[in-house]
Amino acid sequence: MKENIIIIGGGAAGMEAATQLQKLGLTPVIIEKSNALGGHIAQWDKLFPAFHNAKDVVSKMFDNVKDIKTYLNTEVTDIQRNADGFHAVLSNGEAIDGKAVVLATGFDLFKAERKQEYGYGIYNNVITSLELEKFFRTRKDERINNPKKIGFVHCVGARDVKVGNTYCSKVCCTTALKQACEMKEVFPEAEVYTFYMDLRMFGPGYEDLYLKTQKDYDVKCIRGRVCEVSEDMDGRLVIKAEDTLFGKPLRMTLDLLVLMCSMEKNKSIDKIQQQLGVENNSDGFMQNRDMYLGMNDSKQEGVFVAGTCTAPKSLPDTIGEARSVAVEVFNYVNNK
Amino acid sequence: MNNNIFHPFVLPFVLGMAFVLTYCVVGLIRVIWQLPKEDRKQFLISLVTPKTIWANIRDLFGDCLFHVKIWKRNPLLGYMHSSIAFGWFMIIVIGHVMLFTLKPLEGVEVEGFARSFTNFYYPIFYKHFATETPVFAFLMDFFLLMIISGILIAVVKKIYSKIVGVKRVTKFGFADNMVRFALWTIFPFRLIAEKSNIMAFWWLYSIDLMIFMCMLPFTRYMHIPTEALFILLRHAGLKAREPRKGFALAQLYSCPSCGLCIDACPMSVNDQKSGNTSAYFMKILRNGDMAEAQRIAETCLMCGKCVLVCPVSIESCDIKFSQRAAVPYEIHSDHSYLDVISTEAEHSGDPSGARAFTFGEKISTKPKTLYFAGCMTQLTPKIMRSMKQIMETAGENYDFLDKDGGVCCGRPMILSGKPAEAQAMIAKNTELIKQSGATKLVLSCPICYKVFKEEYHLEGIEILHHTQYIDELVKTGKLKVGKGEVNYVYHDPCELGRAFGVYDEPREVIENVGNLVKAKSEKVESICCGGSLGSFRLTQQERDEITQNSVDDLMFNKPDEIVTACPLCLKTFSKKSPVAVKDIAEVVVENLQANN
Repeated sequence: MKENIIIIGGGAAGMEAATQLQKLGLTPVIIEKSNALGGHIAQWDKLFPAFHNAKDVVSKMFDNVKDIKTYLNTEVTDIQRNADGFHAVLSNGEAIDGKAVVLATGFDLFKAERKQEYGYGIYNNVITSLELEKFFRTRKDERINNPKKIGFVHCVGARDVKVGNTYCSKVCCTTALKQACEMKEVFPEAEVYTFYMDLRMFGPGYEDLYLKTQKDYDVKCIRGRVCEVSEDMDGRLVIKAEDTLFGKPLRMTLDLLVLMCSMEKNKSIDKIQQQLGVENNSDGFMQNRDMYLGMNDSKQEGVFVAGTCTAPKSLPDTIGEARSVAVEVFNYVNNK
Repeated sequence: MNNNIFHPFVLPFVLGMAFVLTYCVVGLIRVIWQLPKEDRKQFLISLVTPKTIWANIRDLFGDCLFHVKIWKRNPLLGYMHSSIAFGWFMIIVIGHVMLFTLKPLEGVEVEGFARSFTNFYYPIFYKHFATETPVFAFLMDFFLLMIISGILIAVVKKIYSKIVGVKRVTKFGFADNMVRFALWTIFPFRLIAEKSNIMAFWWLYSIDLMIFMCMLPFTRYMHIPTEALFILLRHAGLKAREPRKGFALAQLYSCPSCGLCIDACPMSVNDQKSGNTSAYFMKILRNGDMAEAQRIAETCLMCGKCVLVCPVSIESCDIKFSQRAAVPYEIHSDHSYLDVISTEAEHSGDPSGARAFTFGEKISTKPKTLYFAGCMTQLTPKIMRSMKQIMETAGENYDFLDKDGGVCCGRPMILSGKPAEAQAMIAKNTELIKQSGATKLVLSCPICYKVFKEEYHLEGIEILHHTQYIDELVKTGKLKVGKGEVNYVYHDPCELGRAFGVYDEPREVIENVGNLVKAKSEKVESICCGGSLGSFRLTQQERDEITQNSVDDLMFNKPDEIVTACPLCLKTFSKKSPVAVKDIAEVVVENLQANN
């Protein structure tokens, strides 16, 4: 059992890293705290920029890991370093030994209640990007009731000094445009607005999506942050924002407001992270050894990091990192 | 003993005394000269007003001699200060009394000017020149030993400050340290000289006095003479207008750099930031390092804790405001595209500018309450919603002044040292409020509350913070609340607690709806949440450290929820708190009784 590799987290990064490690001849073990593999991406309906079904990607990943030893509903409660590697105690009472540890613990979605001015949890018609994704999958959400006017707010909990997150959450820009188009498809009569600071269309096909959003879907992108949301007599949402391109403050009445919540580091791993001696960077994510040639190494020997535990990342970025961490772990185990 | 009434060793003392007296007289004239004309008039009138005369006498003795405020903070520290100050004062007084009760010295005839000149140093060195009666001998020795006991504590404090409950002390330069050393040695030298009459010690004693007095104006010890003037100016009700002139100058010299504000300052949670505290600010401003003084003035959170713990009651926040205002800065943003809000009533109907506020939709004979949420509460809609529910449940006849947005209360502009811009907003709001016909104005933001209380002239309208208003509704039975099982801790917002002493009303409200547990630091001692609008310069990380410290302090007795009464504190704590953070209005709504 000495060639075990302990992978904490069974989302996209954990599953892909496990798949590759198995192909390299090692024995990965996935420890997942929830009752299913797949992480956040399993809750998604379609993926940007080309509206692929998330299910297609995720089910291939599930297929890849079906022979890999997986603990569900299980957390690592204690982890100690020993001469051979690591000894982890699990919440189910079992213990496993491993040569190396891969932290693929992912992210938490920013709690939208923390931006009280946007009214999430206060006004009925304010929802999060994740809840909208669920609506696309199930077509069920009593708050979404044939809305005539829909707004998307970018950067909720990102690039926002006031909530303490100064970093960009990377994927929300494109997600918002994708969701805006999808809303237009579900409710063709609706007017859809997005309120952005910048639109960071960094990947292949993203800029095309942006143009398509405006040309084909007639979504209106307004550069400016929403500052306040309130409710009028009829229970509709009144937002205040500024159109910074026109240099004018604006006020608009909406039926639905979607908050593009940012990523924050998954804090449920804090204790284990501390035991392993892995520090956080200034954004509160895990610190890797260096951002170029050591992006999958933590500063602790034998402890590796992959996916959104080190920074917000898109799915392709995460898969890329999961594959590279497998190579790093392989080299580490073989050279030891 | 010695029949001569002069010896050259008195000269260093005479020189020092002459210098310090001249300096003080010049300084006094300078301060009074620099006062604006109306302030000077107000000051002179206060000197003959019986009420202020009494306050002056009370504080001159209580603060300068007995240091009552320091006693209250820490009795040992109080004893240290008052033994030195009061003991020294008594030695001087008794010395002079002796002059008049003793017979002229044998074989010496001194008259007129020479006699007065002798009086100048005689009580200081009298043991060398004459013997005194046993009663006086006892009294003089008693007070001298009292001073020395105080100095002993001071020496121990220098080595281990925690003995007097002080964690951090002010760091001093050469001059301050030298004068301190002189002060410590004056009285032991005097004691030895008096008991042994060895000439060398009389010289050392006199030279020590000279060093002390000649360097006094250039050190923190200048607070000894200046504090008396400061007390008179303070009781005249003056406010610092310019950072280094007049009243502010008197305050700068009255600061003893004792450093009690260092431990109190929320910024000191990080030791490296304790240089931003008022003790250093006053020193730096006194030394004329204007760039650094400006930096600190802009860094300060303006929580006001240093003002309340200050044993001299120095209004350091006022001085910082005047420092901010002293440096003009341009606002570069171009807001010409915005419609200008007219302060004239007839134009306020413009829908693109300030929307017309239609008062009196509900016809009622009940006195009307006006609720002003303010910008911060607009950003925390839960509070607004709770307030609305409370007012409706209590059956109040109310109007919501800024339901669809309104004009800022003006405080942020005041904090930025822009009083003229603030006045424009104040004028507009005053007009809207007077139009409403309300008799009560309720504010759920302490930032607004402060400015409405201090800068607005709303005669006939009672201004209440919502904690006071809710307390009143509960006490008069208009609002029926039930007592739950939740343990709450209450955070005192700076601008409600320290600024206006509103400590009890919110606590009484909370005790009516649940269990109130204590924070580690409460009321005057409460720690700023770190989110204060007061600071322009603190980075988010620096603020976060302050917030964390404040949250830890509130969590001391492991409450289930943190309750505050300021939307800004609420937002700030929500980031760091391990438990739910709520406004007092939300907590009250959660505990409303069904039969209201």
